[in-house]
Amino acid sequence: MHDPADLTTPTPPPATAAPVLLRAAGLACGYGAGAVLTGVELTLRAGDRVAVLGPNGGGKTTLFRTLLGELEPVSGTLERQARCAVVPQTERSRLDFPVSALDVALMGAVSRLPWWRRPGKADRRLARAALGQVGLAEHADRTFGDLSGGQRQRVLVARALVQDAPIVLLDEPFTGLDAVSADRLEQLLLQLADEGRGLLIATHDVEQARRWGTVLCLNKRQIAYGHADVLTRSVLEATYGGEIVDIDCAVHGHHDVVLPAHHHEH
Amino acid sequence: MHPSLALLTWLTDPWTEALTRRALLEVVLLGIAGGALGGWVVSFNLGYSAESLAHALLPGLVGASLLGAPLLLGGAAGLLVAAVAVAVAGRIPGLDRDTAVAVVVTALFGLGALLALSPDTPAGLQGLLFGDVLGVSDTDLALAGGLVVVLVGALTVLHPRLLVIGLDRLSAPALGVRTLTMDVTVLVLLAVTLLVAVQGLGNLLVVAVLIAPPSAARLLTRRMAPMLVVSSAIAVVGAVAGLYLSYYAGTAAGASIAAVLVGTYLVLAAGTAAAAALTRARTRPTPEPAGAPA
Amino acid sequence: MFDVLSLPFVQRGLVEVLLLAVGAGVIGTWIVLRGLSFYAHAVGTAAFPGLVLADGLAFPATLGAAGTGLVVALGVGALARREGGADRYDSQTALVLVGALAAGVILASDVFHSGANVETLLFGSLLLVDGHDLAFAAVASALSLLGAFFLHTRWLVVGFDARTAPSLGARSPLPDAILLGLVALLAVAALATLGALLATAVLVVPAATTRLVCRRLGPWQLATVALVAAEGVAGLWLSVEWNAPPGPAIAVLSGGVFAVVAAGRAAGLRPLTAAAALVLLAVGGSGCGALEDGSGHGVRVVVTTTQLGDIVREVGGPDVRVTQILHPNTDPHDYEPRPKDVRETARAKLVFVSGDRLDHWMGDVVHQSGGSPLVVDLSTTLPVQRPGKTSGPEASRHDPHWWHDPRNVEAAVGVITARLARVAPAARARLERRAGAYRLRVEHLDRGIARCFAAVPPAQRRLVTDHDAFGYFAARYGIRVVGAVIPSQTTQAQPSAQAISDLARVIRREHVRAVFPETSLNAKLAHAIARQTGATADHELYGDTLGPADSAGSTYLGMERANADAMVRGFTQGADRCTIPLT
Repeated sequence: MHDPADLTTPTPPPATAAPVLLRAAGLACGYGAGAVLTGVELTLRAGDRVAVLGPNGGGKTTLFRTLLGELEPVSGTLERQARCAVVPQTERSRLDFPVSALDVALMGAVSRLPWWRRPGKADRRLARAALGQVGLAEHADRTFGDLSGGQRQRVLVARALVQDAPIVLLDEPFTGLDAVSADRLEQLLLQLADEGRGLLIATHDVEQARRWGTVLCLNKRQIAYGHADVLTRSVLEATYGGEIVDIDCAVHGHHDVVLPAHHHEH
Repeated sequence: MHPSLALLTWLTDPWTEALTRRALLEVVLLGIAGGALGGWVVSFNLGYSAESLAHALLPGLVGASLLGAPLLLGGAAGLLVAAVAVAVAGRIPGLDRDTAVAVVVTALFGLGALLALSPDTPAGLQGLLFGDVLGVSDTDLALAGGLVVVLVGALTVLHPRLLVIGLDRLSAPALGVRTLTMDVTVLVLLAVTLLVAVQGLGNLLVVAVLIAPPSAARLLTRRMAPMLVVSSAIAVVGAVAGLYLSYYAGTAAGASIAAVLVGTYLVLAAGTAAAAALTRARTRPTPEPAGAPA
Repeated sequence: MFDVLSLPFVQRGLVEVLLLAVGAGVIGTWIVLRGLSFYAHAVGTAAFPGLVLADGLAFPATLGAAGTGLVVALGVGALARREGGADRYDSQTALVLVGALAAGVILASDVFHSGANVETLLFGSLLLVDGHDLAFAAVASALSLLGAFFLHTRWLVVGFDARTAPSLGARSPLPDAILLGLVALLAVAALATLGALLATAVLVVPAATTRLVCRRLGPWQLATVALVAAEGVAGLWLSVEWNAPPGPAIAVLSGGVFAVVAAGRAAGLRPLTAAAALVLLAVGGSGCGALEDGSGHGVRVVVTTTQLGDIVREVGGPDVRVTQILHPNTDPHDYEPRPKDVRETARAKLVFVSGDRLDHWMGDVVHQSGGSPLVVDLSTTLPVQRPGKTSGPEASRHDPHWWHDPRNVEAAVGVITARLARVAPAARARLERRAGAYRLRVEHLDRGIARCFAAVPPAQRRLVTDHDAFGYFAARYGIRVVGAVIPSQTTQAQPSAQAISDLARVIRREHVRAVFPETSLNAKLAHAIARQTGATADHELYGDTLGPADSAGSTYLGMERANADAMVRGFTQGADRCTIPLT
């Protein structure tokens, strides 16, 4: 585990000269005419791990879809210097789908190929390598639906690796994982960041967010963006609009723990 | 003749014959029932069931005639078997409900076609249960009236539960809604509607009434209860317009109504698409003055 | 047991099914995986307007079906993209299907006034399979393999999670459009053998069955191809043994296999055990379909319609062995020939057909049988002929219902006798004696009917019937045909509100007292008209076919006598009857 103290990525402005992957200014996102999320100002650099905090319906998914290019910005500017990959929530994928872990990882190769080309030998090697990188080399030929939740999440990360996108968006990747799986995934994310990728990770865990260094708080508008120090009580209240419960216990240290207002996913 | 009088004559002329008046009453009744049920058929993606369950009449019908049982009973049995089989087979993991419908209906229809080859089977058997909107009998009208009462009653009672499933099927059990029970209930309601309506209107027209009006209504409103009302209204208006078309253009009655209903959907779809494009063009902040091309 | 395989049409059917199995198996798995079952069903069923157009404008049916298939594929694709869900095609499919069927009915009813050929294609037939169909199936399967090879990953990505597919770079709509197109192609290819309504028997049901036991795509596709091939071959064999069209046989077989596998899986059985149970079931079932042979000994003769069968039996007596293709109460307009018909025709020396396109399907049967029987078209040598009414290529020069004028039947008896005597010279004397006696009875009937109608005032002799088959009868006995409830010589059409209203007005104006539904047709419309106009619809007529053995219309003479009696009773509101003793 990393000590939060290790990670002092100062943002913004950054002291490091890591290349900018993504920059949004005055960005408003939404469907059709109406904006669901406004005032997004953010700069993502290589090596950043940004925790995206916010209640359900706060605009996380809308932001992700806009960053992916599925939605046009309603207003403002969005400069993407690099391609985006997404790691969706694993329960959205059909678990009865008759594919192996390798098949899923191989789906990442699609983005590099014209529509009529099938992935070739090199792509398969790449997919196997990616599965190796997420620690699932020996599970490559197992049926996707038979893997554990954490393993499935890592397969989807491997898919993003095959996509070889410098920007990876992760949609609540820790949802439903046990402690061991969560630890493995966390290390994997650190590794990805160290390789120079920029990660945006949607989460509800403020504790985690602090560890990752940079946070983006959304609730219909951007509440805060910057070093984890911005996570003050007032920012958290503005983000979640709900009550904040202090849990003073040895394990968590002295951090605020948020119980999001309308959170009934698990 | 005074123009308004001519218009009046034009409007009333088709209804001078009792045949067309019955047809009108039948399509209005089934428009109300079908438009409302159709809202759920479209929301639950039951289009295939609506289109094909009527084929399951055939084995029941042939079986009943070979056994000397009442035909209607046989047809009803065939439909109910199909409805329950579809609901059960649709729960097999890996198969979606449409695949279940394909399996059940293909097998039952094939069985019916095989049995119908028996020399003991009277010919034109299927025709006995497949009506034409112009051949509506008093029994058909009474059945259609009964159907409206039963369907509107059932849909009102079931509305909250149906909403829960329509919104989020996965969490429905947690809210105390049993999905299998509701699936079977909806399919059985659909089967009853088909049994009654197909006798009065013929299969093509029934499917048109069940699918096109709710699809059109969905373009106008996203909320369920108003959508069901709008859907019924579109079904009734479209059906009457179809009868006018059939009367003045001399086109096949059932097919004309179906064509008008599908046409209504297409026109509304094109209209809402154009309106949405217009709104987007207006609201998008652009440096150009208003009226810039979308 | 397997001698049926020597028949050329069965061999061709086998090749067709095996060719189809490759494409249907591979694409079938994608249909199940991508939830395209309804679309697969609809794209075949929606071929209806294409078939009507092909029939009406005289271009190949496959072309018509393929054209409609393409339009449906594009329509569903476009509507589905509009609604924003690439993974659901349900109500869009239904809308397109309803639109297509409505267009088809309007085309058939109001533009071409035809469509008798169309029904056959909706149900398919082994006998319809020709070289073009084989080539089409081969091309469809080859394209399916190509598509599945190159687009595998694209189709998988969208099926796996349609919402993240664009972010994976699967943005082009083309792969999905190609999948829809391939399904359409296969549905059209399956049309010839299975018919539009049962194409799902090879496109969906086998893939759904193997889905129950396969966990991965590769093995699943292989298993599905094998299962489609096995069910297709077994279904063809059963269809010949049961004397049934292949579509229903394959449908019931594949449905049964699915039920057994699903039940076996639920009960925790191994797939092999289930398969064994199934084979037992199929072998048991095949015993039920024993073929009945043409009765008697002597010259083998095949006739098409029930009335021709009766007449040839009267003339031929024990000297001929008559195989009659149509059963009582079967509508000859939309009959689909069966395997046994071909077998019998292969062995026959003589074939009598009614002609004027009423039984045009017999041409296929003779062609497929590989035999060289002499085909006698009785419609070419008639003394009384009336112009046909149907337009389009279906149109016959003459109204095909010639037997309703007994003078035509007398002439036909002469032709039948001469032809029979040529192939059985030894029986000439006996044939001529029986023909002479029968002709006397027909004359007697003719005179009797004429006498009956002479007693009815001309103003009352006004006929309104389903499906105007009685032009000859009416002309012979001075009856005016006021209208037909379905004013067309085929039975596919649907009337308009205008036509029905007009007819009701005419019936009242002319004081028509009875409308006559025909026994082999749906009588609902006729009853509705009668109810409204105060006429009765209680008297049924025999039009295109004789009645079953225990009915009044079980023979030609009985049929015309019953028709005369029904009409006289209807015209006179039951006051009078027409009883002619059958000599």
